[in-house]
Amino acid sequence: MTNQQTAPASAHLRNVCKFYGPFQALKDVSLDIPPGKVTCLIGPSGSGKSTLLRCINVLEMYDSGEVRIDDQLIGYDSPGGKPMAPRRLREMRREIGMVFQQFNLWPHMTALQNVTEGLERVRGLSRAEAQSRAREALAKVGLADKESNHPSHLSGGQLQRVAIARAIAMEPRIMLFDEPTSALDPELVGEVLGVMKQLAAEGMTMVVVTHEMGFAAHVADRVVFMERGEIVATGSPREVFDAPSDPRLASFLQGYRERNSLDF
Amino acid sequence: MFSFQTIIDNFPVLLGAARYTLLISVLGCIEGLILGALICAAALSPKLWLRRCAALYVSFFRGVPLLIQLLAAYYLLPVIGINVPALVAAVLTVGLCAAAYLAEVLRGSLNAIPKGQAEAAAAIGMAPRDVWVRILLPQALKIGLPAIVNELILLVKASSLVTVVGIVEITRMSQSIAAATYRPLEIYLAAAFIYLAINLVIAQAGRILERRLTV
Repeated sequence: MTNQQTAPASAHLRNVCKFYGPFQALKDVSLDIPPGKVTCLIGPSGSGKSTLLRCINVLEMYDSGEVRIDDQLIGYDSPGGKPMAPRRLREMRREIGMVFQQFNLWPHMTALQNVTEGLERVRGLSRAEAQSRAREALAKVGLADKESNHPSHLSGGQLQRVAIARAIAMEPRIMLFDEPTSALDPELVGEVLGVMKQLAAEGMTMVVVTHEMGFAAHVADRVVFMERGEIVATGSPREVFDAPSDPRLASFLQGYRERNSLDF
Repeated sequence: MFSFQTIIDNFPVLLGAARYTLLISVLGCIEGLILGALICAAALSPKLWLRRCAALYVSFFRGVPLLIQLLAAYYLLPVIGINVPALVAAVLTVGLCAAAYLAEVLRGSLNAIPKGQAEAAAAIGMAPRDVWVRILLPQALKIGLPAIVNELILLVKASSLVTVVGIVEITRMSQSIAAATYRPLEIYLAAAFIYLAINLVIAQAGRILERRLTV
């Protein structure tokens, strides 16, 4: 896991702007995501967290600025140049795993096929190789016994774990998580966070958009607070949660604590 | 008196005419599916002019009665210097018309697939061709299958309209026999039975396919 091909990657955003019509979703955002660390993005809904995440693998094309994986520009040929060739973008995306809020597993395939599909079609592995690697990935997320289930026969937590297996089987060098537990019943959140903690412990570069402040506080190396398309505050979990310097961050955290307080 | 003998005597001739019904239906269906897929692709294209062309095509072939389309093809093609047998003109026209409906069925089915399905494939670096063939089309087919089967059954029944360009398929043949034997009730019942049999086979095939696609 230490050679150039599989070493954890870093990501770098410089002055990234993204517009939806007249609405500016990202305002000149700059952020460095260090390799092998967990970066959590928090903030109110509509603050641009998911948009920022989706600019890293260019599921959303940013309008200006630069996004780099290690030192390689993604999205455009050159800074301010033309959009990059689709083939080159696909090559870069192989290095970037993504896990979605709505799982997005393919319903017409079994859990195993969901994982082998990319290994066969994108990595070009033989069916036997793909299946053996997919079984390893499913075992890693604790679902070795569910490989022949279709998504309709899996629980929400299991669906998300298959989705994580699908991403890690591709051996990405950086993983993006877009609110991975927001669509889950509360009692199923733990199993998904458990798998994510294990990945973090292995030294995967992870960028996680989350509303799970507990996860951010305990697993993140760095917490980034966004509001209205801007990064307002960033720091270690301790700095962000225990001593919020920015008033907007303090009020966001207070609101969160009030909603989640145990005083009924 | 109802005469079964009339049915038995004339059934082979009706079945012979059913060949044309089947030929027009099967070829029209293949043409309709292929062309329909292309028109659907045009309708979903990022290029505005392709979307406009697709919309124009669909509104024309859906908005003009097939009967008029058949007559127009039959009388118009020779005028512009294209001389094709009536059967070819009929198959082409039936297929062109079916394509308009099938394109809309496919478009609706594709639109019903959540956007995240293709995004998940794009995120692992899958090529567009694989995204279509492996992810989108199998799901669209499953969603659209009941409507596609409907369309194919309608097509079999609509094939009776080709009599206007002189092709003797089941309906035309039963009219002739009924006139010759003075036994319209028996003959039309027999014709109805053949249409029903063909369409039951299509419906059953659809049901089996649907079950295989359902998980």
